[in-house]
Amino acid sequence: MTVMQQVLEMLDEVLSLGGRAAAFNRDTPLLGALPELDSMAVVALIGAMEERFGFAVDDDDIDGQTFATVGALVDFCAARMAG
Amino acid sequence: MTVEAFFLARPNGQRLGVFHPTVGIVPRGAVLHLAAFAEELNKSRRMVALQAAALAQAGYATLLLDLDGCGDASGDLDGASWQGWVDDALAGARWLAERVPAPLWLWGHRAGALVASAAAARLDSPPNLLLWHPALSGQLVLQQFLRLRAAARLLDGQAKGVLDMLKEALGRGETVEVAGYPLPPALADGLAKATLSPPTSPERVARLAWLELSSRPDAELSPAAGQALARWRAAGWQAEARVVNGPAFWQTSEIEHAPALLLATLDAMARLEATQHAAPSVPAHTP
Repeated sequence: MTVMQQVLEMLDEVLSLGGRAAAFNRDTPLLGALPELDSMAVVALIGAMEERFGFAVDDDDIDGQTFATVGALVDFCAARMAG
Repeated sequence: MTVEAFFLARPNGQRLGVFHPTVGIVPRGAVLHLAAFAEELNKSRRMVALQAAALAQAGYATLLLDLDGCGDASGDLDGASWQGWVDDALAGARWLAERVPAPLWLWGHRAGALVASAAAARLDSPPNLLLWHPALSGQLVLQQFLRLRAAARLLDGQAKGVLDMLKEALGRGETVEVAGYPLPPALADGLAKATLSPPTSPERVARLAWLELSSRPDAELSPAAGQALARWRAAGWQAEARVVNGPAFWQTSEIEHAPALLLATLDAMARLEATQHAAPSVPAHTP
């Protein structure tokens, strides 16, 4: 499974999107566009990323840009998996 | 169904135990539940009670024990310590051993799995383990818990400052409050060092049932969980891993029910008991 597929699966699970994430592409906006993505959901998503991919997120690296689009989130995860 | 509630006396207070004995059958196992932490515990109570009843009916006498400062134990969380939690788990295991002449299973959920693996390392003979969506690293559990306090600042990039402030306070020996829970340094320090690792050099190789939930029907174990499970297998543990379809009930906003997990848990345990242990194909420990 690619990082993109893993991220979409995680978004669908954590935000209870009921399969809507399957239609997302890299340009799909997240923050501000998905009502499910509030600050507590962001905390849950970061936790899910850490557990699924096995890296620890440095909270200094997180800001609104990280969750702006699907592509931004995928790149964020891919960079930490490589490092 | 009979359920027996009692207080287990400990040096610094007492812990609530809820015992689900087997009725009319010889017990095939004795199960000690070690719960998830904080809000995850509260969200999980219903599923844990349902599983305890199902276990008792299937022949596993089951004890639900509230660790120091959690649930309905006496004392507040700010008096708790990681070592105290592991000692509580061992006391619960002793209580069960006196009552139920059957093999011990430690049933850990989320952070409770870290307590279970720490307790397993201190028992003379390694117990069987039943892990529900285990936390792999206490450091991550702690970071994720502290992050709750920084949630509002995450998106403007200021969360790091809040987390650093909390960690500095813990480092100075102060208790910090997060989401209504007073977290003392004695708990935070031990938790941060805990990892889900197989006990070294088990005299007797034991069984491990590992269950995770996913809302997707065809999901696989996450890469991180798969790597952790491989370490347990390499150490000689006989493992049965399942990904079951259902909601992550310990973090959902409503109290959710995952009926498939109840059956899969019993099935994984029965399957492990039915198979003869095969010698590990790789050495348990490499120098």
